[in-house]
Amino acid sequence: MAWNMGRIKANVDGTYNKDEVIKAANAIQAIANSGMGALYLPGTDKGKGWKETRVKPELFTDKEGVGKVATNFVQQANEMAKVAAAGDAAATKVQFGKLGESCKGCHDKFRVDEK
Amino acid sequence: MTNKRVFIWDLPTRIFHWALVLCVIGAVISGQIGGNLMEWHGKLGLAVVGLIAFRLVWGLLGSTYARFCQFFPTQGKVLAYLKGQWQGHGHNPLGAFSVFGLLALLAFQVGSGLFANDDIAFNGPMQALVGKDLSDVLTGWHKLASNVLIALVVLHIGAIMFYAHVKKDNLVKPMITGWKDNAEGESARGGGVLALVLAIAVAAAAVYGASGAWVPAPPPPPPAAETPNW
Repeated sequence: MAWNMGRIKANVDGTYNKDEVIKAANAIQAIANSGMGALYLPGTDKGKGWKETRVKPELFTDKEGVGKVATNFVQQANEMAKVAAAGDAAATKVQFGKLGESCKGCHDKFRVDEK
Repeated sequence: MTNKRVFIWDLPTRIFHWALVLCVIGAVISGQIGGNLMEWHGKLGLAVVGLIAFRLVWGLLGSTYARFCQFFPTQGKVLAYLKGQWQGHGHNPLGAFSVFGLLALLAFQVGSGLFANDDIAFNGPMQALVGKDLSDVLTGWHKLASNVLIALVVLHIGAIMFYAHVKKDNLVKPMITGWKDNAEGESARGGGVLALVLAIAVAAAAVYGASGAWVPAPPPPPPAAETPNW
């Protein structure tokens, strides 16, 4: 996800390569629509894995709030792919910003900051 | 009431103050919204680096009431102030805590912000120097401290309102015009052109240093021909 976001950013900031952006945007769209909710099953908030999970317990209780940010993210990711296909650098930049804000919607609300 | 007045805040101090106000407001808002505004968040942060560097030099070389040693809150001064015995102009001994506190906190904010990342698409200009794990930790501190900063600013404004309404002392006007009306005392002196040039030079150097412009650019990506077509 981060890799593909970085690719779009690099193209928006530097020389714009339409095909690169389309690849990256399609990848993000695919992940967004892959049913990410399945990753956050009850109990995974205790995950230790390769590092302790940063998910907040609220993610499992605030169904409505999660639904809102998740739906927004999927919408923005779909829109991102659409705009990328059109190939306009300025429009891509605008939509990239909106997509970033939708990521932040969840990060801010349901993610523990590292201390 | 006399018509006497005292010159307290020199022009560079006043410009510093209000520029800092604008930059901090802009940085807080852009940081909250995120997205493409993060670019502005970074630029405003660099501006704050310059402003803080300027103020540190100006606190040594500026005019009378801008100097740190003039308002440094010693125990004696703070006690005298709390008993209502403090007489003077400029930052009062409690206000001095606000000044040093805000400066230190802002220095921490820009310092951590330079190495922070938002895990979306924005990195501080020197993020690459510390690696992702440390950057994540600094990002956490950066977010935490932003709440402390907002609280301090609210306290700062609250104190000014307290002065205006309860103690009938308008602190805002001198910060705009430089002059405190109906007061007696020594006007500010010092802080000449040479000091100003030096302070601006240090500020410019600080912004350049913080911008990461000197950090070696990452190696260019391999040419497209070598990228496999899957």
